[in-house]
Amino acid sequence: MNAAIQFNDVSLTYGPETDLVKVLNSISFSVNDDEIVSIVGPSGSGKTSIIMLAAGLERATQGSIKIHGQEITGVKENELSDIRRKNIGIVFQSFYLIPNLTALENVLLSLEANQKYNLDSEAKSLLDEFGLSHRINHLPSELSGGEQQRVAIARALINRPKIILADEPTGNLDSANSNTMIDLLFDYSRKSKTSLVLVTHNNPLAERCDRIIELKDGKIA
Amino acid sequence: MLDYQQLLFIHRYALRDITRSYKKLWVISTTLFISLLLLSLTFSVKHSLSNEIEANSKELLGGDIQISSGIEPLQGLILEQLSELGQISETVSLATMLSKKGDTSVFVDLRAVDGNYPLYGEMKTIPANAGQELLHDAKRPTVLINENIQNQLRLNIADEVVIMGQDFVVGGVIASVPDLAQSAVFGEFAIINKDQFDEFNIGSRDSFLKHDYRLKLNQTEDDGKQIELIKSIVESDKNINTRLPKDSGQSLRRIIDNFSNFLNLVSVSAMIIAGIGISNTLLSFVNQRNISIAVKKSLGFSSNIIQLIYFYEILLILIFTSILAYCIGVMSPLLANDLIPKSFDIDLQTSFSFISYLNIFFIGLLVVLIFSIPSLYSISAIKAVALFRNTFQPVSLHFSAKNIFYLTLLVVVLVGYFVFQTEQQFFTLLYFMAFVVTIFIFYGVSRLLISLLKRSFDFSSNSYKIAYRNIVAKKSLAPIMTISLGIGLTLLLTLSFVANNLKHEISQSIPSMAPDMFFVSINKGEKDDLESFIKSIDPNVELEFSPMASASFVALNGTPIEEIVSGDNRSSWIVRGDRRISWLEKPNQDNLIVRGEWWEPGIQDQMFVSMDSRAAFDLGMKLNDKITLNILGRDVIGTVKNFRKVDYRDISINFAIIINEAFATKLPYEYIGTLKSELSADTIQSKVIGKFPNISAIKIDRILSKVGEVLNKIFIAVTGISLIVIVIGLIVIVSAVMVQTTFRRYNNLIYKILGVNFPTILKAMTLEFAIIYLTLIIFALTVAMMGSYFVVENILLLSWSFDPSLTLWIVFSTAAVSFLLILIANRNIFNPKVYPLIRNE
Ligand SMILES: Nc1ncnc2c1ncn2[C@@H]1O[C@H](COP(=O)(O)OP(=O)(O)OP(=O)(O)O)[C@@H](O)[C@H]1O
Ligand SMILES: [Mg+2]
Repeated sequence: MNAAIQFNDVSLTYGPETDLVKVLNSISFSVNDDEIVSIVGPSGSGKTSIIMLAAGLERATQGSIKIHGQEITGVKENELSDIRRKNIGIVFQSFYLIPNLTALENVLLSLEANQKYNLDSEAKSLLDEFGLSHRINHLPSELSGGEQQRVAIARALINRPKIILADEPTGNLDSANSNTMIDLLFDYSRKSKTSLVLVTHNNPLAERCDRIIELKDGKIA
Repeated sequence: MLDYQQLLFIHRYALRDITRSYKKLWVISTTLFISLLLLSLTFSVKHSLSNEIEANSKELLGGDIQISSGIEPLQGLILEQLSELGQISETVSLATMLSKKGDTSVFVDLRAVDGNYPLYGEMKTIPANAGQELLHDAKRPTVLINENIQNQLRLNIADEVVIMGQDFVVGGVIASVPDLAQSAVFGEFAIINKDQFDEFNIGSRDSFLKHDYRLKLNQTEDDGKQIELIKSIVESDKNINTRLPKDSGQSLRRIIDNFSNFLNLVSVSAMIIAGIGISNTLLSFVNQRNISIAVKKSLGFSSNIIQLIYFYEILLILIFTSILAYCIGVMSPLLANDLIPKSFDIDLQTSFSFISYLNIFFIGLLVVLIFSIPSLYSISAIKAVALFRNTFQPVSLHFSAKNIFYLTLLVVVLVGYFVFQTEQQFFTLLYFMAFVVTIFIFYGVSRLLISLLKRSFDFSSNSYKIAYRNIVAKKSLAPIMTISLGIGLTLLLTLSFVANNLKHEISQSIPSMAPDMFFVSINKGEKDDLESFIKSIDPNVELEFSPMASASFVALNGTPIEEIVSGDNRSSWIVRGDRRISWLEKPNQDNLIVRGEWWEPGIQDQMFVSMDSRAAFDLGMKLNDKITLNILGRDVIGTVKNFRKVDYRDISINFAIIINEAFATKLPYEYIGTLKSELSADTIQSKVIGKFPNISAIKIDRILSKVGEVLNKIFIAVTGISLIVIVIGLIVIVSAVMVQTTFRRYNNLIYKILGVNFPTILKAMTLEFAIIYLTLIIFALTVAMMGSYFVVENILLLSWSFDPSLTLWIVFSTAAVSFLLILIANRNIFNPKVYPLIRNE
């Protein structure tokens, strides 16, 4: 077993010396490469911050973060983009589909970011799997919230990432839709032995995961 | 580096994006299109006009070579030698009076031509065979007149007219002559037969004849050799000048060059203002799409690729609009054909050329690059983390050291590219510099306004508070409006001020100073008779006569004058061809001596010269310089004694060169006279012509109204063109307003919720507009007044005056149009629908 994500003594602070906001305080944990982990904790405890650090979208103030054994702190912006593209799929709370691209095009964009072109059939079959075959040529504004989130998940998964980071993916959905969504993510993770890090406020959902990391005031409780 | 697949992706993505969001890019398309069209029109018309001149250069000259011998005809021996080389056509030109029998007269440019005329091209007449009849079968003395003469004297074919006391019959009307004589196109022009000219001794009493010989070379021999031979034949005689086809149409070429230079500069100005719009639109485009950009970044796209996609979209717009603009531009000569007066007999051709297209495209590309770099680089400031926090900060123009370097480089390339294409490189560069300075002035003005308002905020009215907040807000309209409208207005005001000063000069200053009438070709013997005759008609008349001889400026201190004075010298007219000189024994009160002293009277064996001070300065003359004048074929060397300040505006008798009377009495001469009288000029004219048929009496009002007409046309053209800059400025402003509507609608909604009513919001908008407009107009007026003052006083050498009503008219009409457009662009902020906003925000 290898660690997909490894945080070692990671701290994150914002602002100047005089007005320092300590968001994460010397956190260490790791997530295995086939593990489903949930991060829970009160609002403002630093859950989203952990996801951003793991995705390489934010830089740690201190400590080391490794993605599949590769150190990402202190790595250049462009290299970070490469690592992110190759390893990580992100699902946001707000789905953030690109409004003037159809469902299919939104999914394809993720492939195109990896310079994989002309893979329409692959994207179509994934959308099909997600029950969206009749919706592939619709714009996001013509899709329901649940459909939009499924497209967003397809977009995150189409590259076969080794790590999925999801920040409250069901936060904007009703419970029925939430369940479908979670099933999709869990299925994928289990099938392709991929690590999934899930931030959630939903306790039953957290319980379904392999492990729960609980945050409080920037520390693991 | 990007590989082919990536480029293909960028291409496909941009194409798709553009077809789905073209509405947001309309400002870029329209402003680019208008300014490119202007540029393309300028290039095309200039190009085809120059081609037309090039293609017709032999027609314009009237032969393969033109030999001018001035007052005297060529010697028989030379003529004989020339006639062996080709066919000769001889022309004598003079200026004289043509009168309808027993009625009014006009001063005309009269040409006597022989049977070979024209050697190239054809003379078009109504009826069509009138030319043929005149030159080959004229039974009675016949004259062909142009339309201007026909209209002024209300003449019909077969009417009788009088020239120099000799009766002529009107044989027809000249529609066009191949050499485009200026008077044929704009003035009064008549042609008679050279044999009849000789037979009736028409030229015998006029000392300002001009003899021209045009030659059509025999086809058998090498043209270059023959022309060398001709030059060597006539070389010995200093009075003889030769001209070749490549020298023809010079003044036409100069006019075309100057006008197209002006148009070029205006199009670039339009282009740069369009660029400001592009920059603003792109920035708001980026801000509207910040979420999509952040998503792309989270998917792993680099800023570079995203920037490339957007840049490629603009490139596509540029390609599309430039092709369209070019095609319309290329077709424009066909339209110009309809606008050019028929008497030019010009038939412009359209010619597509990839190089000319690239020229336009390249200029467009530079402008687009310059103005899109700071906007597109702002993409790098959009961070993907914003997607987690749901907060999107608007980005602003990005100026890094690298950017500034690229921008400087591009600006230098643009300016350099433009400057090298124009004839007047120095003025073009000066214009660019003035333009950039003006942009910075207006940017500074807008910042000044904002900071002044921030400091002096102590009004209590609600409208003022709202207006104040709108102006000092981060996304204020103030900078964009100040720059784009400010520059257009400055240009319009400057040009109108200059034109208005010129018109004022023509319609008021000159007529009040100038005499009512000129008399020329007064023989020595006739002068006293004429004087007493006029005094018998009007005892109170102001009458002034000066003696006059013809001379040409040959050398200065022994150096041939052509080697000293280049063609673009302001005073080169003084050394071109024959000049009229006069003489005086005592200085004239009108002409102030600025340097040197007047000469001792009575010295007969030496020539002393008094020069126009401006010409002396332009030609680099000093006191006591030796100048060589050719007077009636004889070179005479004289000493420059003084410089006079000559005001040519009063059109009383002013001479650039005046010599001492004691020396001049030996010369053959005639008189020129001026008259100012309470009686009508028409009455005096017809009485004088009736009594003295050889004397030409020219009415000044006719000349002035002709100049006025031309100026009026130029004024309309120039203001019309500078209006385009204002239109583009307005489009930019409207687009800026529309980009703001969401933000403003939201603000207005909040005001509404706070209980501010509609009239207050409207008042606030009016106030906001008024404050910004007032500030910019103060500066535009200042810059325009300084600019036009400089041009009027230093280049046109007139005295500058200010016309408040014209200024008010421009200022208010622009204000009204801009404000109306802003209101229309803003129309949906007045009734903000509350619910959609609450749901969104
Ligand atoms: N740029 C910043 N500057 C200062 N403080 C920040 C900044 N970004 C985040 N914070 C602070 O960091 C803390 C952790 O934020 P984070 O978004 O990780 O919390 P969270 O656990 O995801 O909360 P929630 O459940 O509400 O989403 C918060 O207290 C927040 O105020
Ligand atoms: Mg969070």
